[in-house]
Amino acid sequence: MRAYIVRRLMQAVLVVFVVITLMFFLFRLMPADPTTMLVESGLPEQARQDLLERWGLTGSLADQYWSYLTNLATGDFGTSFFYQEPAWNVLAPLILNTLWIAVPGMLLGALIGCGLGVVVGWARRGGPVERAGIFLATFVRGVPSFVLGIFILMVFSTWLGWFPGFGIGELGDGFTRYFTWSFLAHLILPVMTLAIFFLPENLLLMRTGVVENRGEDYLELVRAKGVKESRVAWHAARNSLLPVITWLFPALAETVAGIVIIEVVFSWPGIGRELVLAVNRQDYPIAQTAFFLLAVMIVLANLAADLVYAKLDPRVSYE
Amino acid sequence: MAEMVEFPGPGRGGPTRDVLEVWAGTRRRSGLAPFVDGLRLLVRDPFALVGLVIIAVFFLVAALSGFLAPYDPYEALPTPEGELARLETPSGDHWLGTTAFGNDVLSQLLVGTRVAFIVGISAAIVVGIISTLLGLLSGYYGRYVDDVIMRATDVALSIPTLPIAIVAVAILGASLRNIILVVVLLFWRNGARIVRSVVLTEKEKVYVQAARAAGASHLYIMRVHILPNVIPVAFLWMTMSVAFAILAEASLSFIGLGDPNAMSWGQMLNLAFTEGSIRTAWWWVLPPSLCLVFLISSIYVVGRAWEEKTNPRLRRR
Repeated sequence: MRAYIVRRLMQAVLVVFVVITLMFFLFRLMPADPTTMLVESGLPEQARQDLLERWGLTGSLADQYWSYLTNLATGDFGTSFFYQEPAWNVLAPLILNTLWIAVPGMLLGALIGCGLGVVVGWARRGGPVERAGIFLATFVRGVPSFVLGIFILMVFSTWLGWFPGFGIGELGDGFTRYFTWSFLAHLILPVMTLAIFFLPENLLLMRTGVVENRGEDYLELVRAKGVKESRVAWHAARNSLLPVITWLFPALAETVAGIVIIEVVFSWPGIGRELVLAVNRQDYPIAQTAFFLLAVMIVLANLAADLVYAKLDPRVSYE
Repeated sequence: MAEMVEFPGPGRGGPTRDVLEVWAGTRRRSGLAPFVDGLRLLVRDPFALVGLVIIAVFFLVAALSGFLAPYDPYEALPTPEGELARLETPSGDHWLGTTAFGNDVLSQLLVGTRVAFIVGISAAIVVGIISTLLGLLSGYYGRYVDDVIMRATDVALSIPTLPIAIVAVAILGASLRNIILVVVLLFWRNGARIVRSVVLTEKEKVYVQAARAAGASHLYIMRVHILPNVIPVAFLWMTMSVAFAILAEASLSFIGLGDPNAMSWGQMLNLAFTEGSIRTAWWWVLPPSLCLVFLISSIYVVGRAWEEKTNPRLRRR
């Protein structure tokens, strides 16, 4: 078990390293010279050089890569061209904002999705519940996240006027920062969007698992004990959870895509929206750092999924 | 070749499963046979049939879009009074109304259909080829080939898709070609894994071993015995990739990274969103949204049905 964890940790570190390297070269491919956008054309050559130096844009590629690595290792993510502030200071407060959508949204989607998956999987094969369930889930899965967000925005914010659909609301100070009614009201629609976006895949996978488990002998044994049918379904459900958790692994990367878009639709000040803004402003340090943070979030979540999987399924070999 | 190999049966006299597999493996079928079988099964599934019809209609519209579009999608149209036809509700002149820039929504929608298919199909073909090749190599040769390819997919799978797409398209420039390139870079990895898993089970089958014992080359076995079994799965992944590619293009366009010369559904939504018309101009927002939903969902429904038909584990119970 310990060897397994160490191996997974090493893989996570490798992934982060690859992401960092990829990022470095990608951003150096950019055709536009960032100084042209930021530095007024009338600036004397010396001042321009100073600025280039300050942002680490001088020297050979190898030098730049080395200083980039050492800077990252010391937690220096560069200075935003746009905000004129360290990138880390700009983005750090946004991490929590993103998590506030990501965690409740995915939890809700997974819980409701798996629950419905058991219902659909346990329903009569070819019956109305099964057909409707599969059809609806497949249909909703085809709804792009921004279309879903726009629909939810239109219905709940514009037509019904129940919840606000723009921004994060008024935050409190210090400890009560995230405990204001305004914040909670603004939180509802993005979380709802993410939950619905995340739900169908859970439902379909859970249903497949339950269907595959239905005919197994151990369920007959449970049934023979004379327990209620729902109890039997529960047994099948527990054994169907594994494929769902395996799926979580690649799905997390996809879900982050959903979160980025949802943040844009609801103008939610999170990492994803900041990434989009930074790319449009050609603000390298912010874009780099935001991308890095999203990648690290995924790596950490993957690691957690792996460990949970190993814990849940004794059949997993820790080779 | 099969006659030369003898398999001891379990004693009942009939052919054993292994022998049947050898027969199945040596029976020559045309490369199209899995598709014909699959299509026949699909048509019997009412949902899949509806999905197929919707996709066919969209495809037809895409092919004829230049013909059907009543106006130039980029033209700022005037009203009869000579003013800019700004945010007009649907009417006889403009069936789906106009945008804030005085463009005809229907014309943009029709052109957008073409863009969706161009991106979806070209990306899916490249993804299909790359994932089948890598999956075959990785699964068949195993060992270090497998190790290298699988570690690469492991790492690739951990990279957030849309963020890297955003960064890459922003850097390479917003064009359809670059968007297709990014989609291919994003989706080869899952496909390669899926194909690999099929190859792994297939190559252990007795008929493959028999063919090997009979002196067939690796290339021959891959082409004749393994590839036909891989094709249904690879095709499923390609079908899904069409949807993923359309989705990726739409997402990038919605963010503002669409090809400025190709009006896509995502771009229409981006313009409506940045113009602040999302809450008011439903005739501008709903058509591209619904087109995206119907096309992508139809592809998913068909893909799902195909999966059910080709995966006997799901079919039997």
